[in-house]
Amino acid sequence: MSFAADVKDFLYGLTGYEFARHALETRREVEKIFLAATLGDLVGIPVMPPVYSLRLLPYVLPEIEKWKREMARTKELWEREEFDLHGI
Amino acid sequence: MNALIAVIIGAVTIYLAYTRYARRIDRNVIQSDPKRATPAVLYMDGVDFMPTNRNILFGYHFKSIAAAGPIVGAIVAASLWGWLPAFIWLVVGVSFMGWASDYSAIVLSVRNEGNSLSAVAHRLISPRTRTILFLFIFFYLLLIAGAFVGIMAQTLDSQPKTHLGMILLVLMGLLLGQMLYRWRVGLLPATVVAVGITFLAILAGPATEGFFRSFNGFFNSLTGGAPIVTYFDPTLAGFKGAEAEIMPSLLFWAIAISIFCYAGSVLPIWRMAQPVVYVGFWITAIAMILGLAGASLGTFIKPEIAAFQIPAFKGWNPQLGPAGVMPLWPMLFVTIACGAISGWHSLFGSVGTARQIESEADMLPIGAGAMFAEFLLGLLALLAVTVGAKGGSPVATFASGLGGFISVFGLKGEYAVSLAFAAFIVIVLVVTQLIFRIMRVTLTEWLGELVPPLRNQHVASFISVVLAILLVMTGTWIYLWQLFGGANQLMAALSLLLVTIWLAAQGRSWAFAGVPTLFMYFTTVASILVTAYNLYYNVYVPNAAAGRAVPAVGSALMIVVALLLVAAALLIGVDGARAFLKYSRLARSSGAEAAPARG
Repeated sequence: MSFAADVKDFLYGLTGYEFARHALETRREVEKIFLAATLGDLVGIPVMPPVYSLRLLPYVLPEIEKWKREMARTKELWEREEFDLHGI
Repeated sequence: MNALIAVIIGAVTIYLAYTRYARRIDRNVIQSDPKRATPAVLYMDGVDFMPTNRNILFGYHFKSIAAAGPIVGAIVAASLWGWLPAFIWLVVGVSFMGWASDYSAIVLSVRNEGNSLSAVAHRLISPRTRTILFLFIFFYLLLIAGAFVGIMAQTLDSQPKTHLGMILLVLMGLLLGQMLYRWRVGLLPATVVAVGITFLAILAGPATEGFFRSFNGFFNSLTGGAPIVTYFDPTLAGFKGAEAEIMPSLLFWAIAISIFCYAGSVLPIWRMAQPVVYVGFWITAIAMILGLAGASLGTFIKPEIAAFQIPAFKGWNPQLGPAGVMPLWPMLFVTIACGAISGWHSLFGSVGTARQIESEADMLPIGAGAMFAEFLLGLLALLAVTVGAKGGSPVATFASGLGGFISVFGLKGEYAVSLAFAAFIVIVLVVTQLIFRIMRVTLTEWLGELVPPLRNQHVASFISVVLAILLVMTGTWIYLWQLFGGANQLMAALSLLLVTIWLAAQGRSWAFAGVPTLFMYFTTVASILVTAYNLYYNVYVPNAAAGRAVPAVGSALMIVVALLLVAAALLIGVDGARAFLKYSRLARSSGAEAAPARG
């Protein structure tokens, strides 16, 4: 990798990367709600599985493992991007 | 001594520390292995756990750890003890402790499935360590919020030329959020518009000084020029102590800053807090890059701006007020935190950066590399205040020095100083709004179950703001800063303690983390006790004797916080020592890994 590409990556990390991460976090929050509402029974939330949950299953199947791990993981309140103090 | 020599010494030091010491620890003690799968690879979820290119992650990590901390600390330390002790601590601190703390926190998390420091503390030390850390963070945030609001209010009140830039900073932050997230404008054009307009407004500051001075005058005329609160401030009159007054204009700026922070706390992050931080980052980065280059070139182009103005050494124990003590040990080591070593870095390194490490070979360049880069920021701040004009407040001296460096590039003196002032305020302002945001969340998490109204974000934000204003009204921001520094460095000591216990449990050499742990632990506990003593004899007693309610209540609150921090530190220390002895014994007897930690 060239020096110019390294500098470009560094500048991206310094500037745009946090916006990208925030966008990903926002998307994940919405997806979590969606998955909990439709397939919540997979993680113990008492949701009556409607028939269209089964139709969705093939599409969300690749995400289920990550989603279950995310739901089970202990989280700290300061670990989200939005609670980063940026430079203390 | 001049600025160029200091920059060269700093650069050589970090080169040697990185290549001769840090790399050796990484190779021989930690034994980082590029073939070992990291949590980012094992548990990739596309958001928290995501293997990320090392250059991107270096930029991200550096931005997350470098801002106001190294600047304010260096300014205060140089004013109290002279530039030489501050310079030595920056160099020695970062070479033997700072990089080790940041790097090892990332290592600890990477080798423990991406768990945060508090989760590892829960497992390795005791469950109550995690609870103590939680309470600890709230007081830590309260202290720094009080210190920063106080510094900013005083600077804005005394520097009307910075007002236009700050108003535009907020407006451009709001515009940037709208452009990026709603209008879908690209990052580059949105940055050019928002940062460009803010930058021009800052440069135009001196031209609007008269207007904003009359603005301040209007508020002061409401009381006929009489102060709202009078108090004894031991940091005034060259640290000899004098009567101080809070004028209506100062209170106005403290409230204006609080309203701004309140909005940053309750609005969606994309609407205000994040874009304002982003615009502020560019303003500060421009000023700092120009300043660092100016400090190096100034020796040849304008030697007078690179010559050191303040004494190298002012004394081991400068008198701070009628009864105050400010011994170099332990106070210097908490006054300068982030450029040398900082606990907050470890906390975020363990949850933010560690989960994005693609290969173990990246841990050192990112963890230690970013810390060494931040050291350069601290060094620049120290140089700026050292070459600044004599007299005036520490912040004014810093702005004068940094403005001098920037003027090397042909910018007229008053505009360069205006940019330097703005860079300082911006850097503090954007961090403060984030502090209130985290305080609000911490308060809700901590007491929301017991006191349901605290779950309301407006109630939690309002309480946070009121507590911070109460601390501001004591007027002794240096003590606030040192208490915050003590809390911050205690967190660094806790992080290093965890790493030491983990290394002992693994049967590895723990000295590179253990020795800094002992130094930072005893130093920070001692510093908090000294600050509590100073607060009592220098602030509480004179103001209580004079019947002044607000400064007496504010300083009493700070003393209580200080004693709580000491109690928390003692509990963590006892639990940590027990855990260390237990795991060391087990590792010795079994000759193998003793802890329930992986690695």
